[in-house]
Amino acid sequence: MEILENRQAWEDHFKANWLAHYEETGETNWKLYQYSKNEEAPSGKAIDLSQSKLLFVTSSGAYLKDSQEAFDAPELLGDYTVRTFPQSTDLGDIAFAHEHYNHQYVDQDPQSVLPLRLLETMQSEGIIGELAETVVSFHGYTPIVTRVIDETIPQIISIAKEQNVDAALLVPV
Amino acid sequence: MSLLNRAFEIEGIPSVMTTWRDGVARLAKAPRVTFTTLPRGATIGAPHDTAQQRRVLEATFELFKQEAPVKPVVLDETMEEA
Repeated sequence: MEILENRQAWEDHFKANWLAHYEETGETNWKLYQYSKNEEAPSGKAIDLSQSKLLFVTSSGAYLKDSQEAFDAPELLGDYTVRTFPQSTDLGDIAFAHEHYNHQYVDQDPQSVLPLRLLETMQSEGIIGELAETVVSFHGYTPIVTRVIDETIPQIISIAKEQNVDAALLVPV
Repeated sequence: MSLLNRAFEIEGIPSVMTTWRDGVARLAKAPRVTFTTLPRGATIGAPHDTAQQRRVLEATFELFKQEAPVKPVVLDETMEEA
């Protein structure tokens, strides 16, 4: 099972259309963009979350504002790097570098996309067995899918394995 | 994020996702996903609406109880956009 079944076809279309237009004009044209398409979904086992260690992954562009470099939000070709921070991080220590969604809701309540305290409550109630020590954050504006597959995803899977997690919660924006 | 959802499952680590962006997730064949009509930037729920945020998470966690792939589940969760 592949992450993207038709990788070469996707890349050929991307280079000939969206990327060619971008390189020619410096602008993005989403009418020229082909989203990832697969025919089959991967199979996997059922688990009991109350007996599992859960990793939280966000694509909100969250980072530690005083100690980490912000994601390159203005870059029209995307940012494929990953940040991590402790699950216990104070929400006030986090900023969001991402220009492709309106920040009005996270400015009011970061838990609208980053429910760190709520997850801790659910852990204390026994709904979640254990939370991973680390939260994984990346920048969800990533038009070059092959770079997501080759750069971003391997970093995140590696962190998941290092943390010895049993499951992951993925929250895009 | 749909591709990451696939990657985790391929690696033998079950993962669940919730999103307002159903078209992209369906096209990518994400294996365990819930859909809402919450606005972009409030994926888990309206600001300070802890009850809604909790409903979305609990419904999404339900997907762990089944073997993947799970048929996408549409949640009746929305909010008025400011």
